[in-house]
Amino acid sequence: MSENLIELNNVCKEFVTAKHYPGFKGAVKGLFSKETVTKTAVDDISFAIQEGEMVGYIGSNGAGKSTTIKMMSGILTPTSGSCVVNGLEPYRERKKNARNIGVVFGQRTQLWWDLPLGETYTVLKEIYEVSKNDFEERMAFFNDVLNLQEFMHSTVRTLSLGQRMRADLAAALLHNPKVLYLDEPTIGLDVVVKDRIRQAIREINQNYNTTVILTTHDLNDIEELCQRIIIIDAGKKIYDATLDQLKCDYGDSCSVLFEWKQNLDSNQEDMLQTLGGQLVLHKQEKGIQVCFSKKECSVAEVIAKIMGIAEVKDVQIKETELTDIVKRIYQGSEGKTV
Amino acid sequence: MKKYLRIYWPFAANQIKSNFVYKGRFYLFILRKFLGMFIYYYLWMAIYASASSGELGGFSRSEMILYVFMSYTISDMVMVGISSEIGYDVTDGSVAMSLTKPIDYRTRLVFKSLGVMIYRAVVPTLFIWIGLEIYKVCKLGMPVTNPMTMTATLLSVLFSFFIYIFFDYCFGMLAFVTTYIFGMNIIKNATLNFLTGRLIPISFFPTALQKIFSFLPFTAMTYVPVMIYLGKYSGMQVLEQLGKQALWVVVLYLFGSFLWKKIERRIVILGG
Ligand SMILES: Nc1ncnc2c1ncn2[C@@H]1O[C@H](COP(=O)(O)OP(=O)(O)OP(=O)(O)O)[C@@H](O)[C@H]1O
Ligand SMILES: [Mg+2]
Repeated sequence: MSENLIELNNVCKEFVTAKHYPGFKGAVKGLFSKETVTKTAVDDISFAIQEGEMVGYIGSNGAGKSTTIKMMSGILTPTSGSCVVNGLEPYRERKKNARNIGVVFGQRTQLWWDLPLGETYTVLKEIYEVSKNDFEERMAFFNDVLNLQEFMHSTVRTLSLGQRMRADLAAALLHNPKVLYLDEPTIGLDVVVKDRIRQAIREINQNYNTTVILTTHDLNDIEELCQRIIIIDAGKKIYDATLDQLKCDYGDSCSVLFEWKQNLDSNQEDMLQTLGGQLVLHKQEKGIQVCFSKKECSVAEVIAKIMGIAEVKDVQIKETELTDIVKRIYQGSEGKTV
Repeated sequence: MKKYLRIYWPFAANQIKSNFVYKGRFYLFILRKFLGMFIYYYLWMAIYASASSGELGGFSRSEMILYVFMSYTISDMVMVGISSEIGYDVTDGSVAMSLTKPIDYRTRLVFKSLGVMIYRAVVPTLFIWIGLEIYKVCKLGMPVTNPMTMTATLLSVLFSFFIYIFFDYCFGMLAFVTTYIFGMNIIKNATLNFLTGRLIPISFFPTALQKIFSFLPFTAMTYVPVMIYLGKYSGMQVLEQLGKQALWVVVLYLFGSFLWKKIERRIVILGG
């Protein structure tokens, strides 16, 4: 096994904020009280990521994803625990660490607001000491995949969200970082731009073996990009495995939708009822939905059984989607923690 | 050094450019400057007209005219604040950016301000200075400023720029502690108008206060270069004042670094 590029050990992050009281009276009271509220955003998280991995880091709103990313990129210091990226503790050696990483925060640009985009890249070229050849080659690649040309001379402030996000991604990748952190890089993007962004990430990972950590609420991003998935909830890690493993663990339920050729007679209805033990049946207007666990019987078996009873016009097979799985995991953990 | 400039110069250049680009802002800016200066000028002239002696606080009427225009232009050029930008960066969380890139936050801000200063040095300061020089010789019957004095003045102005910006950087660090930096900025500016001698020359203050002021960096922000220009200091005193300014540059720079180190650890980036 190769060395871990990123290692988090029992990382916690607490935010301490002054307590706020409602209303005007409350505001005055707040001025004099020293009461604080402690919020544990990240609670004892450990994981290790190897070079070249693409990891989806997901969780519901407020789960602590962004906070973790900020600690790994050196913006925040953990309250306890250790976080090592490429042999450095990011928050201790921020400048050194910054050379190894690229960061894209979907909600906020990493570009300088008042510089024209083109100039931003020349500044970055100098900062990261990118050679002229590399610079030209990479810019050509970005232009190709991300279509930056059309707004290269605009000031960052004037870019649209999607343009800005593409520009941000290119800026994060210009120095060919070892690690790329993407915090919701596809938020609010149209389908085409999403595709471009994903393609760029995929190619960079393939060509340079860049390690990618991605948080997103669009699970298609995960499905298209990541081999591994880490799920956190309320600051705690609740799942960590490959995507295939996840589907194996949770993606066993399956449903098949049948549409009858003609309405069933009572005899056929009765025969259907006998199947009820193993399969869950939901009658529909012109047909029936059959739900079952793939561990117990196969799709072929189910189809054979139903077709043995009545003539069928149409069949639709629905595997569990990642969204459903994740929804189940989120809901499951809610039940546990409450 | 060359590399350093290549990284940071675009920030200055961009400020110069964008300041020139916005024409409307440009004329408004000039108008405001002139209005301010002339109100101030007429105020002092009224005071001199009603005074019994021709000299107030060690300034003759002619010297006061020069003082008014010089202190106004110099403070305008030199006091290019960065604390409100720090305030914005902190409240909207974009300081995070300077932490994920190997670029120095303060240096970048200094270069941005440098751009503004260069712009203001040309528009309108240079023209006012030339006008003032002509006025001084033709109307007030004073000699042309000698090159030595001019050089010392310019050097002093440059020091003033750094003193103010490093001071304002320290002040801006407050944004990490309180979210009310913008209100405090207004108070700061009002106070500075007094302490730098922009409103009233320092020599008008009681001697005890003047003593205290000499231990503070504020007089070095405007008053010193103006006094050098007016020839109020002897050769030795000029050197002494320049040395003091240089010292303040270093002290405030180091203090800023110290504050940043302290704060860096506790940084909490809001939002996201
Ligand atoms: N600066 C802060 N001060 C106080 N609490 C904070 C701060 N930043 C984050 N939190 C809290 O920490 C928790 C985790 O926040 P975080 O931004 O990491 O969530 P997230 O997983 O990125 O959520 P989302 O999917 O909505 O982006 C939240 O409950 C949030 O309220
Ligand atoms: Mg987030």
